[in-house]
Amino acid sequence: MTSKSKRKLTEGLFLTPTVLAFLVVQIIPFIYGIYYSFTDWTGTGAATKMVGLENYIKIFQDKGFLHSFLITLEFTILNVIAVNVIAFLISLLVTSEIRGRNIYRAGFFVPNLIGGIVLGSIWQFIFSSILPSIGQALNIAGLSKSLITNTNTVMFTMVTVNTWQYAGYIMLIFVAAIQGIPKSVLEAAEVDGAPYWRRIRSIQIPLMANSFTISLFLTLTNSFKMYDVNVALTNGGPTGLWSKTIVNSSELLALNIYNTAFKYNKMAQGQAKAVIFFLVLVVFSVIQVSWNKSKEVEM
Amino acid sequence: MKKVLALVLVLMMTMTAVSALADLVIVQNKVEIDAALQEYAKAYTEKTGVAVKVITGGGSSDYNTVLKNEMAQVRQPDIFVFEGPSGYEMWKDRIVDMAGAEWIANTSMAYTDGDKVVGFPVAIEGYGLAYNKAILDKAGIDPATLTTVDAYQAAFEKLDSMKAELGLDMVVSMVAGTSQNMTWVTGLHNFNVYLTVGLDRDDTSMIDGVLAGTVDEARFHDYCEYVALIFKYSDPDMLLNGTQDSQLAAFANGKAAFYHQGNWMDPSLVVLEPSFEIGYAPHAFLHTETDGILVNPPSWYAVNANGNPEEAIAFLNALANTEEGADYMVNKAGMVPAFTNVTLLPKGPLSVSLMNWNAAGKTYSWQQYKLPDGFGMGTLGPIYELLASGQIDEPTFEQLMKDAIATIPSL
Repeated sequence: MTSKSKRKLTEGLFLTPTVLAFLVVQIIPFIYGIYYSFTDWTGTGAATKMVGLENYIKIFQDKGFLHSFLITLEFTILNVIAVNVIAFLISLLVTSEIRGRNIYRAGFFVPNLIGGIVLGSIWQFIFSSILPSIGQALNIAGLSKSLITNTNTVMFTMVTVNTWQYAGYIMLIFVAAIQGIPKSVLEAAEVDGAPYWRRIRSIQIPLMANSFTISLFLTLTNSFKMYDVNVALTNGGPTGLWSKTIVNSSELLALNIYNTAFKYNKMAQGQAKAVIFFLVLVVFSVIQVSWNKSKEVEM
Repeated sequence: MKKVLALVLVLMMTMTAVSALADLVIVQNKVEIDAALQEYAKAYTEKTGVAVKVITGGGSSDYNTVLKNEMAQVRQPDIFVFEGPSGYEMWKDRIVDMAGAEWIANTSMAYTDGDKVVGFPVAIEGYGLAYNKAILDKAGIDPATLTTVDAYQAAFEKLDSMKAELGLDMVVSMVAGTSQNMTWVTGLHNFNVYLTVGLDRDDTSMIDGVLAGTVDEARFHDYCEYVALIFKYSDPDMLLNGTQDSQLAAFANGKAAFYHQGNWMDPSLVVLEPSFEIGYAPHAFLHTETDGILVNPPSWYAVNANGNPEEAIAFLNALANTEEGADYMVNKAGMVPAFTNVTLLPKGPLSVSLMNWNAAGKTYSWQQYKLPDGFGMGTLGPIYELLASGQIDEPTFEQLMKDAIATIPSL
């Protein structure tokens, strides 16, 4: 055996466990899923038969799904902006000369270590019990009722909680990028008399472009797939009326799919929704990544 | 050396695997009795040597999801709970016929399919409008007169006008919010009022109508007005934001005169030590007199053919026929057993009231479990929430409910 082929073999062997795991828990279920979306599968082991595109046709007649799709877009846009802007600002804060910046770094990151379900439950308590009692005590009309049970403010609560959880993580990516910018460039700009904001806009941001690619990709997919905070914080509620249909006003796509499959016991239809969900997510992330890549610069 | 090491590893792995295995796995859906059942299972293990593992899903986690997960495992549960025809149909192929088992002799509430006896009644449960006798007395209302919607209207108005005097925050403690997962109270239990109140136990005309997409117009109109009446005298914040706990707390602390929940809340109610007498009044939504509350086994234990049926049936027999079983059901879990050989009296005030109504033969059945999966909680429940939040009025509520029911076959 030549050393080259031996090396190939070793590499192959080292890869096997990961590839196997990936096959078994990702690829095979994924293929099964696509197959099931064309059947009347119920998930209980009863006989299934092919039904063609019926599940997909039903989805396009389902106004609740369309609503979930639109509010997921709304949530994604608001959330991507909120998370990235806030993460960028706090990353500037913790890379400045401010005192105790390490404590800030840890503090902003800690929420990310708490699971979404726990976090959702805690924030539900804050929004539905603590804020209303503060609002009532101080006579602030906007706060005296729970923000979660109001169809107009429920989206705001979800974005708040998700930003609180996720901004710290994105902050870390930005901090690493900022620290990677050579001091000499910034100092040169300072000597040339560029003010603070100009230095950020014309030097820091362009040189951080590759970290924006990553952070936008992460926040985009994370917001699109949002499930745990959604289920624990609002459970899709409150009920609202949207173009004369009764809808769960905060039921994002993942929760809608879950409810279709498990609440209504329509496994195959839920699976079909999941396939559409996957396609949409792929399209959005490919567009985002290629757009961001075009903005990246080399030193 | 390597061989020894490998042997030790294999031994360790098998040992942990064995201890993780139980002889009997039970999947059940009542969170409130979980602790009591775990304790009973432990005592059962000590007595018989059969290791029992209890898995509970339910309350705000979704029992059917938990059950599906467990049934998909290699080690399937031996005993699991089903809640009626849709659950039974789903697992029919795996459910064992228990005909001839000892426990059957002492109950009339077993779930049967033709000649087959397939379900062991977990308990009997019931609900009406629970009332705080002390408050009604102070307001000069006799609960025995609450048998028509007009009597309720008058009583609610009177209590509402005396709120400050009686220390009430709301007249009825009621919940309807999606965000707290409470739509089963409205979309299933309250909806069943329309389905069975005032009808014979074996009268299925209303549920048959709903399943075919139609309602009895006059009766449905009365029902919708009754829902609007209850919501009007409830606290809006409790309706949208209330949890099972806060709903109970309002009643147990004397902040509400009526409480829309069943006797399954007894274990939690007893802990709060209410200082007043409690009883059930009927859900009398008609202008004509109706006198009775809604009583049924809420669920049944089924035995899985792919598990260990013999051990499972032995466990159920012991539950129904031993003193320990009776003690667990009545004293520990606070349930009302469906077995005539059990003579213990429940501690909870709601269960006592339920037993009295049941003994008097004044009961209506439960039919809501015949609704398709998700229809009650997922489709009807949100419409109640719209009414509760004031986004729609009573006539719109009635129309939306009818529209939803009309689309039932295509669900």
